[in-house]
Amino acid sequence: MSSPERAPAVVCEGLVRRFGERAALDGVSLAVAAGETLVLTGGNGAGKTTLLRVLATVLRPHAGTVSVAGHELPRSARAARPSIGYVGHEPLVYPDLTARENLELYAELHLAPPGSCDEALAMVGLERRARDRTADLSRGMRQRLALARAWLHGPALLLLDEPTAGLDAEGRERLAGMLARHGGAAVVATHEPEWFAGGRELRLEAGRVAG
Amino acid sequence: MRAYRALLRKDLLLELRGRELVPAMLAFVLGALLLVRFGLGGETQAGGTRAATGLLWVAVVFTSMLALVRSFAQEREHGIWDGILSAPIDRAAIWAARSTATLAFLVVTQIVALPLFWLFFLQEGRAPSLWVLAGALLLADLGVAMLGSLLAGLASQVHAREVLLPVLFLPFAVPLVTVAVRVTVDTISPQTSGFGTLEGLGFLALYDTIFGLLGWALFEYVVED
Amino acid sequence: MAASAAAALMAAALAMIFFYVPTDADQGYSQRIFYFHVPIAITTYVLFAWGAVNAARYLWKRDQSLDLKSYVPMHLGVIFGSLTLATGSIWAQISWGTWWFWGDTQLTTFLIIFLFNCAYFMLRFSVEPGERRATYSAVYALLGVGLIPLSVLGVRFAQRNELIHPITFNSNGANMDGSMFLTFLVALAAILSLAVTMYLVEIRGKRIDDRVRTIRRLVEERA
Repeated sequence: MSSPERAPAVVCEGLVRRFGERAALDGVSLAVAAGETLVLTGGNGAGKTTLLRVLATVLRPHAGTVSVAGHELPRSARAARPSIGYVGHEPLVYPDLTARENLELYAELHLAPPGSCDEALAMVGLERRARDRTADLSRGMRQRLALARAWLHGPALLLLDEPTAGLDAEGRERLAGMLARHGGAAVVATHEPEWFAGGRELRLEAGRVAG
Repeated sequence: MRAYRALLRKDLLLELRGRELVPAMLAFVLGALLLVRFGLGGETQAGGTRAATGLLWVAVVFTSMLALVRSFAQEREHGIWDGILSAPIDRAAIWAARSTATLAFLVVTQIVALPLFWLFFLQEGRAPSLWVLAGALLLADLGVAMLGSLLAGLASQVHAREVLLPVLFLPFAVPLVTVAVRVTVDTISPQTSGFGTLEGLGFLALYDTIFGLLGWALFEYVVED
Repeated sequence: MAASAAAALMAAALAMIFFYVPTDADQGYSQRIFYFHVPIAITTYVLFAWGAVNAARYLWKRDQSLDLKSYVPMHLGVIFGSLTLATGSIWAQISWGTWWFWGDTQLTTFLIIFLFNCAYFMLRFSVEPGERRATYSAVYALLGVGLIPLSVLGVRFAQRNELIHPITFNSNGANMDGSMFLTFLVALAAILSLAVTMYLVEIRGKRIDDRVRTIRRLVEERA
């Protein structure tokens, strides 16, 4: 059997997730090896966001098997969470709190070591805006803050939903830097797969793996 | 525990910054007290005092609805739930932090409202015991905050939440208000036994215990998707 | 099979209520409504308990059929609850001349539970069918379990010394003589079996509904 360091980061077999009567994921099977980057493509409504949310343990799978960082969902979801860094469609930050306050909150929730807030702010280039309310930041800066939030606790698996959206040139540089520094696996949903050279592409269509 | 403190700090900080909720609650309570004061005209008999005490409790419940309906509004509007739910925390901590914050808002509102209540209604004739009233308020606030936060978590994911939350809460408010009114009004008459008062306050404590335990156990199910 | 048992018991109960049991000395012929009212009230509580048990089982197992088995008793509880209130009001009007009395503990407690049941329905209507609705219903049903002892205790505390509702069972056992007790038991069995029959019918009906809906959706997807 594979040793823990080389165990796959994500394994799905026949994953199903419904919303009411509609199956957003209709039998998805895939595997992401440790250290690999999987690039998810597909049109709107193909199921990319839903898949990421299931992997982030935010949504429960309805059928099939899913395991993240070696932990089976939904049974061991709690154990899987420390290994996950999730960037969603929204920046997931409170508008009335400052950038730093938001990061401090998540640092406490994720039990991140002291100093990780400063490090994360530096990594995305927001040190000078740390005391500004998030509502006062531009879209691109909020997106950078979202990346910092996912990075904070040094997760083994990054789940990024359209991470390039709203980023300016400097923001993209920071994202590239973050991905380069990240030693673990990543699953990225994007409309710009060419930007993530070095990753394996997988296309979703109507809740299933295409092709 | 860390998660609880961090979330509570966040809730209190947001209210301090936004200052939307507590002023609204104060305005509501004061408005209600004023309206009834004018409505009662010159009535100052014990009957009027009983009615006024009953009214105070009704105002408490509706004020708390105001607070609870807005619970989790930020998490919902800005999609922040995904961030909180993907964190490795005990989800009951979210409920506990929200309950504590709601309790704080209710207490602050009542610290202002209570003296005014006294001023408007209880200057003449016998009045309910202040200690009993304060104690009952605190216990009732705790129960409302805890059960209310659980129901608010539930209602926040539903479209008709502003209507649904009061409807869901109403059956639970009845025993609470019934006992609270009785226990405070009883202290107006000099023959009330201390035992009776203890029994009433004990009931409120039991209410808090039961819904505290249920809230703790069930919140996970409410937020999970 | 349940239906025929229910029918037989109902026939027996009706016969006993109208022909067998002697007329009550205090209240006259109209007292016979008691043989409907109390069994219906007890059945309401039983239905509620059954709904709550299945709610807990649903949260444990996440089996969708348990959601149905929790919802149907609560639904029937509203029906039987309304009947309890109706028969109670009729009895109250005949015996005491009022339709309702706010000072009574049993009435108020029952009303609280009935309100809870209606709120359960509002909840169910407000959420789209699916796992989330099932989970929320189950959570709320379990909260209702906490409500029962609290309403009983609370109302009793708040309304001390104001009892007028006739007491059916006290610490010495049933408050009635032999033939009345027998009739009461038969009536209780009849109402309970009626409830069970309605439960089974409604569950089967909802299952068929579900299957029809699934078939319709599959047909649409193919087309």
